[in-house]
Amino acid sequence: MRSSQTKRLLTHAVLITFTGLTLLPVALVVRKAVTPGQEFELTLNPIPSRVTLEHFRAVVGASLPDGTWLFGRQLLNSVLAAVGTTVLGVFLACTAAYAFSRFRFPGRRFGLLTFLVVQMFPATLLMIPLYVILSRLGLLSSIAGLVLVYATTAIPFCVWMLKGYFDTIPRELEEAALIDGASRLRIFYQIILPLARPAIAVTALFCFMTAWNEYILAATFLGKETSYTLPVLIKSYVGEYGSTQWGSFAAGAILVSVPVVALFYALQKNLVAGLTAGSVKG
Amino acid sequence: MTRRNRALGAALGGLVAASLVATAAAALYLRERNAGEQALAEAPARSYALQLAKAVRAAGDDPTAAQAAALRVKARGERVQLAAVVVEPRSTKYRFLRKRRYLAHSDASRQRQVLDRRHAGDKAIYDLANRVRHEGSIIELHAPQDEPVEVTAAEPVRVGGKHHATAVVITRPAVPAPGTPAWPLAAGLALVALLGLAAGAATPKRYVVVAGGVVGFVLFAWWQLGKLEAFYQARAAAALTAPHPRWPLVLAAILALGIVVLGHLRLGERLATGLRRHRVAYLYATPAALGMLVLVFVPFGYGLALGFFNHAHGTYTFVGLKNFVEILSGGGRPLSHPLNFYFTLGVTVLWTGTNVLLHVAIGLALALVLKDPLLRFKGAYRVLLILPWAVPNYITALIWKGMFHHQYGAVNHVLELFGVEKISWFSHFGTAFAANLVTNTWLGFPFMMVVCLGALQSIPRDVYEAAEVDGASRWQSFWSITMPLLRPALFPAIILGTIWTFNMFNIIYLVSAGAPGGSTDILITEAYRWAFERADRYGLAAAYALIILLILMAYTLITNRMTKATEDTYS
Repeated sequence: MRSSQTKRLLTHAVLITFTGLTLLPVALVVRKAVTPGQEFELTLNPIPSRVTLEHFRAVVGASLPDGTWLFGRQLLNSVLAAVGTTVLGVFLACTAAYAFSRFRFPGRRFGLLTFLVVQMFPATLLMIPLYVILSRLGLLSSIAGLVLVYATTAIPFCVWMLKGYFDTIPRELEEAALIDGASRLRIFYQIILPLARPAIAVTALFCFMTAWNEYILAATFLGKETSYTLPVLIKSYVGEYGSTQWGSFAAGAILVSVPVVALFYALQKNLVAGLTAGSVKG
Repeated sequence: MTRRNRALGAALGGLVAASLVATAAAALYLRERNAGEQALAEAPARSYALQLAKAVRAAGDDPTAAQAAALRVKARGERVQLAAVVVEPRSTKYRFLRKRRYLAHSDASRQRQVLDRRHAGDKAIYDLANRVRHEGSIIELHAPQDEPVEVTAAEPVRVGGKHHATAVVITRPAVPAPGTPAWPLAAGLALVALLGLAAGAATPKRYVVVAGGVVGFVLFAWWQLGKLEAFYQARAAAALTAPHPRWPLVLAAILALGIVVLGHLRLGERLATGLRRHRVAYLYATPAALGMLVLVFVPFGYGLALGFFNHAHGTYTFVGLKNFVEILSGGGRPLSHPLNFYFTLGVTVLWTGTNVLLHVAIGLALALVLKDPLLRFKGAYRVLLILPWAVPNYITALIWKGMFHHQYGAVNHVLELFGVEKISWFSHFGTAFAANLVTNTWLGFPFMMVVCLGALQSIPRDVYEAAEVDGASRWQSFWSITMPLLRPALFPAIILGTIWTFNMFNIIYLVSAGAPGGSTDILITEAYRWAFERADRYGLAAAYALIILLILMAYTLITNRMTKATEDTYS
């Protein structure tokens, strides 16, 4: 009895230490965000000695000499890019996912495999041709161009997620509707889509998160400060040689991550379910 | 074959041919238009830079003569802004200071003035002058950011007795590109539509006729575009002798051949039969398929083609397999050189292997501890431990970059508490690699933990009880019950994790940034650097990306077989 109690205590001790170590980097960033000064302090104590909101004020209030509210502009860019990608991805994928789930046709295997491969492999591989093409079309530094780039992985991702859900909707529903004389289109719009609403919402939110969190494509394709998305802004606080503004970085990082971290926790059950179905990109 | 199918096949064939030719025509047109605009912009800028360079060199140290020369050259071209920048000797007071001053400027009031970033265009001139000192002659066609100049060219000059390199820069305010006649494209499209219709009831013989028509059209377009190019070159101050492109001929031949083959195999008809039978399915799949075609297949094809070209200063030259040879032969660098492909490949494999091993080990260990149903607060531990997965990974990377900071980083601080001296993490391969590894382990173990936890909970308890009754030790039951039953869930997760880690761009790029000397770069960051950080070698980078893709494909194929094998064993 006694030994099992010691064992339990030991387990908790190990778990607490490990969890503490895991949370430490995040705690240090939170502390930095609310303590004055741009440098990290040399202490591991995550409790700040003096609390200030100056970093948040500086990050949010950033504006250009001509009065453009830079942070607002970049926030808008981020939202537009993420929403645009989501709308494009979900809109194009809905019908295709239905086709892949319900019909057997030549090219189905090829299509599914292509979607899987494309969403598993990084968009970075397509980046070079995309960059050259977009620069020729004059779409560099534009959110529309960025949405197109994000869509390369968003569409296959949405197709796989939605297909997985459509597979779980019983076919009997459609058969009954067919017997009642409903057309295929009507079945899709009046039966399948309303039933799939939660799945569509989850897929859309994942799409949104992925686009919201994307850094390197945005950093490469967007050249002007006013066209940056928030990840590019956050990175710009971390300079190459010693000129890093850790305070601003920490505040910005918190502002940008809090919504997605919350979303992640809300959706993590679906994420794991989606992973087992063979989709979802990290 | 019914008549209906035949007609559909014909229409389809026509449509395919039409879209192919239209794409080719549009590409051809755009390419020539670009070349024309480039010639227009580039030629005078270059020639003015050379003229001014010559004049300044002749003027020697005499600023008045240089200024007169600048004005003289400007008189020949309107709307150009000319400047000769001289780098002053180091200030005696501040040793690090080297002022840049205008030796001559087409705006006379700016002569002898120090370059000032508040002045429109000065920053661009300053940057160009600096670059010229390192790179030699420059022609830049893109507008520098936020600067009201469009074309800049620079030539290095040495002035008189003072041996300070002086740059001569020409900038010119943005002028709208001259209107391009749109009729060749319109006429081409009309012709293509006609051809598509003519493809009508398709028999092999007619396909030959159609193919002939297509060849004729492409040749016609080529000729017209040649005229267009001439039109631009005539408008350019100095005509460039650009060689007439040969590839449209090749393209036309391929197109014609393709159409004949298509017709011969009655592919159109067969496709039509399939299409009719599965009409609804294809209709539903169309939007996504079209999206993929435009967004993935076209860029992929473009990237594939790009791999056979070399890009330098805005022009592409066909080099065949040279890019691939350069990569696969290591580029003439020794095996221990960070830019050698095999070195990078080795680092990538090491990186992927160590990461996945750590992810699985830590994830599995935590899952084994957390699966105990009697453990208290297990929900809380689980929620807290997956936090690293929730944080956007570029932020993770930047946080850890800060943690590994030589002077202020928390890691060095902890080491100091234990009496270890501060480590300069990014100046040795081993420590830089370790920094990346720690960051990515922090980021990656929660995924494996969640997967293992899910799989462990699905193993029925009575299996263990039976083993216990039979006298199996904990170790034995772990290896002969847990591991085999875990495998079906763990295997796909490992494959996925491997691909993620293999391509973990953000961590490498943001934490160690390849330091020291590019040695910690993995394949994907290396490809990126060739494209965007080393003289825009798009061709080489595209070839690199292609090789990476092939490696990933091979990996997926092999593991796919292995998964199938495990499935067969355990299902």
